[in-house]
Amino acid sequence: MATFFGEVLSVYSRAVEEDDEDLDDENEDEQIHRAIEEKREVHIAWCPEVAQSLEGKLQCSELIIAVGTNAAGFLSAYVLNTESWDAVGHASLWNERSRGSSRQSIAPLPGEPACLFYRHRDNPAVLVCQSTCYIAEDQLFQWTEKVFGCLQKRGLSVMVLSDSPVAEYKTPDYLYGSAVPFLRSLKSSASKSQALCPALEQPNILTGLPAAVLSHCQVHQIPAVLYQCYTDVISPDSITMETYKPALLCLSKLVKLEPCLSADVLRKFAIITEAQSNLYT
Amino acid sequence: MSYDRAITVFSPDGHLFQVDYAQEAVKKGSTAVGVRGKNVVVLGVEKKIVAKLQEDRTVRKICSLDDNVFMAFAGLTADARIIVNRARVECQSHRLTVEDPATVEYITRYISSIKQRYTQSNGRRPFGISSLIVGFDFDGTPHLYQTDPSGTYHAWKANAIGRSAKTVREFLEKNYKEDMESDTDTIKLAIRALLEVVQSGGKNIELAIMKRDESMKMLAQEEIEEYVTAIETEKQKKT
Repeated sequence: MATFFGEVLSVYSRAVEEDDEDLDDENEDEQIHRAIEEKREVHIAWCPEVAQSLEGKLQCSELIIAVGTNAAGFLSAYVLNTESWDAVGHASLWNERSRGSSRQSIAPLPGEPACLFYRHRDNPAVLVCQSTCYIAEDQLFQWTEKVFGCLQKRGLSVMVLSDSPVAEYKTPDYLYGSAVPFLRSLKSSASKSQALCPALEQPNILTGLPAAVLSHCQVHQIPAVLYQCYTDVISPDSITMETYKPALLCLSKLVKLEPCLSADVLRKFAIITEAQSNLYT
Repeated sequence: MSYDRAITVFSPDGHLFQVDYAQEAVKKGSTAVGVRGKNVVVLGVEKKIVAKLQEDRTVRKICSLDDNVFMAFAGLTADARIIVNRARVECQSHRLTVEDPATVEYITRYISSIKQRYTQSNGRRPFGISSLIVGFDFDGTPHLYQTDPSGTYHAWKANAIGRSAKTVREFLEKNYKEDMESDTDTIKLAIRALLEVVQSGGKNIELAIMKRDESMKMLAQEEIEEYVTAIETEKQKKT
């Protein structure tokens, strides 16, 4: 365009695609996007024996996923406490709240937030997954696709145990202290089994990994049941862990479980946080 | 809910949500029980599990406010410390001004007024504690009062606060007898109420008593164990 002073300025018109300069910017953008995608990719690492058998898909009849510290603690105390489980893999991912990608090939340290897979020695079709790390919204789909991509869909049935703060439970009635913690269930339509607690009432919703898994199961018609435990404690707590006990009824048909677990073992997972909290007396 | 953001705002249905939520903070503290007998007042608390390297005696739920008044609290430790300090100063101030020890009701009213002020102030949150205040007035009448985060206080014959308070209160309702003459019965009632909810029995209980014209006495662990044994023997005899 001509200016007042007689110069001629070249003005960019948005109506016309100008390929020359934009290409560099686009390349840079693409590079940045690719770098972010790579960084946020979800990696599932299986142990060598399992990786070999993955040429086909992994035979799995029962997948039990625990999301959250109390659900994972319950499985550790009641199920994984017996000697017959092998660690067969882990998922590593990076996001702003879970910075695990620096150790992709090495298994996470015990006690660290992580996503671990265990398989029963006598009944290798039973898989347990303990997820205590935060999985961002953009990574949930990837996680679900990659994990279920390794499993044979036929004959698969899924159980999800998940923690949630009771502050997020919406109800018209006042919740008395004695009712907490409590369980609510949600099933995929392919699931024919009887849930062991009342169904989750509207307008409550699931979010995060439990929701991603249940959605996947619903879409692919995999029978799945989810038990959501609403608790008023933010740290691992033995009473909250015990609330998952009804789920044991289903599990005991498949694997041998610790029959009458002493409260001491449960408290082992919870005791560290109890002693250190001086906030309440 | 947007009505729980600021303490000074009522919700359309008349709730002060921050005060309600402060009551929840109280439920996170361990149980404390108070019983008023004819000649003795008793406060029993569930001892908190302390870390290995922590000095046991610095974790106290029972504090004396004056020679004739003492209290137990449940809820936020730091809030309790502030209330206790202010109450202690007020007790001495009362003595100096009026030349008489403060009555239990007076100091309870003072504590409750502080708590109420914090439910009506801009930018402050309520105190997250409930307290049981016991003692004798100078005319020898025993009293037990309970305060809560809203700033209300009421006199009770026996009450419990903190975690599992409801269970303990129901036990007290069933087992409290009017005008318990015997000091032992009053103490036993407090211990029995605590044993309903305390795990692992007598070693997790702390007890303080005050008899008329005497100062507060913390019972030693052995004495508490003796009471617990006596209670268990009585229980076995009944069954």
